[in-house]
Amino acid sequence: MSTRLSGPERRQTILSQAQRLFAEKGFHGVSIDEISRAVSVSPAILYRHFDSKQELYDAVLQQLACQRESYVDTVVNSGTNFEDVLTGMTHVFISSVDENPNLLRIEMQSLLDGNPATSEFFKNRWKSFTDYIEFGLNQSMPYDVPNREITILSAGLMFQGMVREALLQKYLQPEDRLVDVSMSELSHELVRLFLRAIGIEKSRLSRKAVISS
Amino acid sequence: MSDFDSELDASGLNCPLPILRAKKAIAALENAQTLKIIATDPGSVKDFEAFCKQTGNELLSSGEEEGKFVFFIKKAA
Repeated sequence: MSTRLSGPERRQTILSQAQRLFAEKGFHGVSIDEISRAVSVSPAILYRHFDSKQELYDAVLQQLACQRESYVDTVVNSGTNFEDVLTGMTHVFISSVDENPNLLRIEMQSLLDGNPATSEFFKNRWKSFTDYIEFGLNQSMPYDVPNREITILSAGLMFQGMVREALLQKYLQPEDRLVDVSMSELSHELVRLFLRAIGIEKSRLSRKAVISS
Repeated sequence: MSDFDSELDASGLNCPLPILRAKKAIAALENAQTLKIIATDPGSVKDFEAFCKQTGNELLSSGEEEGKFVFFIKKAA
């Protein structure tokens, strides 16, 4: 063993290394032995902190959940109109992945792992958007629009697909052409296109136009 | 806590909807009136604390009742 760490420090080191490895290889692709090696401790020491791989995985997830993005600032500081709040939320969400791309990797891994707790957690992160979009459209869309329900559902899917794909191309395929694109500009434009698709023209000019005017 | 002037049921909604609807409901209140909010999103506990801190409205109480989260917020005078 190289350095002596206190219990909580050791626990934190285990959690960070486990997060990195689970993000890279998924729950089934990592063994306790491998995590122990990454932290330079024996499996026996690791088991003193976590009873099982599942418990360690849950703790990694719990830690990510505690850093869950907050939309309170967005709501308090922006207008309450649909487009401003959606723009603010998208910005917060994208920033959270920008700060910790492991969030995105673990989400992708969990889709195939079939771990119920994990998929619930990530479903909930997206639910903020789909709820918000569905709720907003439910209020604003006339009741006699044909296929109203499926239109509202599709709008939520469209938004989630659009943002998720942008994140995948930016953070999981770094050789891609999005490398030099600013995520805040991209998210601004995606939201603008989305709003136009559902029939809302953003009231003000695009940010670029505002800046240059 | 049982005294309130207006009630908002945000059950089943994820952040930011409960906060957004609370903001609108509070705007419709007179100063020092109280809003009761019911929510099911576990994140709403932290969210309403942050919301009150930022807006200056007073979080009179925050508790759990039959698996739901109940908040009483008094509009800042």
